[in-house]
Amino acid sequence: MKVKILAALAGIGILVQQYMVWAYAPIAQSGPVQKIFYMHLPCSWWALMSFLTVFVSSILYLFKRDDKYDRVAGAAAEIGVLFATLALVTGSVWARAEWGHWWVWDPKLTTSLIMWYVYAGYLVLRSTPMGRDRKALVCAVLGIVAFLDVPLVFFAAKLWGSAHPDGVARESSGMAVKMWHTVFAGLIAFGFMWGGILVARVKQMAKHAELEAKLIWDEE
Amino acid sequence: MSATTYLIIANAAVWLGIAGYLGFLASNASGLKKREQQVELLGGSNDN
Repeated sequence: MKVKILAALAGIGILVQQYMVWAYAPIAQSGPVQKIFYMHLPCSWWALMSFLTVFVSSILYLFKRDDKYDRVAGAAAEIGVLFATLALVTGSVWARAEWGHWWVWDPKLTTSLIMWYVYAGYLVLRSTPMGRDRKALVCAVLGIVAFLDVPLVFFAAKLWGSAHPDGVARESSGMAVKMWHTVFAGLIAFGFMWGGILVARVKQMAKHAELEAKLIWDEE
Repeated sequence: MSATTYLIIANAAVWLGIAGYLGFLASNASGLKKREQQVELLGGSNDN
C-alpha cells in the first residue's frame, strides 16, 4: 500500500517535473544544456540521502542487531549507487557539453568517484558468501566507515575549490525563480520515487529472508 | 552534437537507469513468487 501511494505520487511528481524542465523553466545564459542540472541535482541529492540512510541503519543494526536495519542499509546502498551513477553520468555529459571534456580530476568529482567505488564495494561485500549475522555485522561497520567520504563530497568545492558549484543554494547563484521552482519539483518527485523504491526493495529482501528461513527449517 | 542532444542524452540516461533498476526489482519479485509457490508445495508434500 505504501509502495503504491509513493509510486503514484512519484509518477505525478515526475510528470510535473518533466513539464517544468522542458516548458516552464527558462533557458539559462549558458544555453539549454544547463537543464541537465534539473536531473543531475536530484540524482546527487538522493544518492547522498541514500548513503546517510545506510549510515544510520548501520548504527541502528550495531545497537539493536535487528535484521530489518541490515535490509534497509542494503536497499539504500543499492539505490544510492544507482543515483550516484546517474549523477556521475549526467555530470559528465554536462561537462562535455559545457567545457568540452568528459572528466576532470577536480576535488568534487574525484571525491564523488571515490564515494561511488566505496559503496559499489559495499554491494560486492553484501553479495559474498558469508554467515548471515557475520555479513550483516561487517556490512554495518563498512556502512559507517564509508560515510566518512560523504561530507567530503558535499563540501569539496568549499574546502578545496572546484570548477563544480559548491552545492549551497544562495541568492547570488543567478538562478531565476522559475528555475528554483523546477529544482524543488525535481527534488520532491525524485524523493517520492526514492521512498517508493526503498520500501519496495526492503519488503523484497524481507520476503527473501522469510523464504530462506522456511527452507532451512524444512531441511532440518 | 548540439546542446539539446546532450540534454536529451542525459535525460534518457537517467530514465533508462531507473527503468533498469525497476526491471531488476520486477524480475526479483517474479522469482520470489515462484519460490514461494515451491516452498508451499514442499510444505504441502511434507505434511503428507
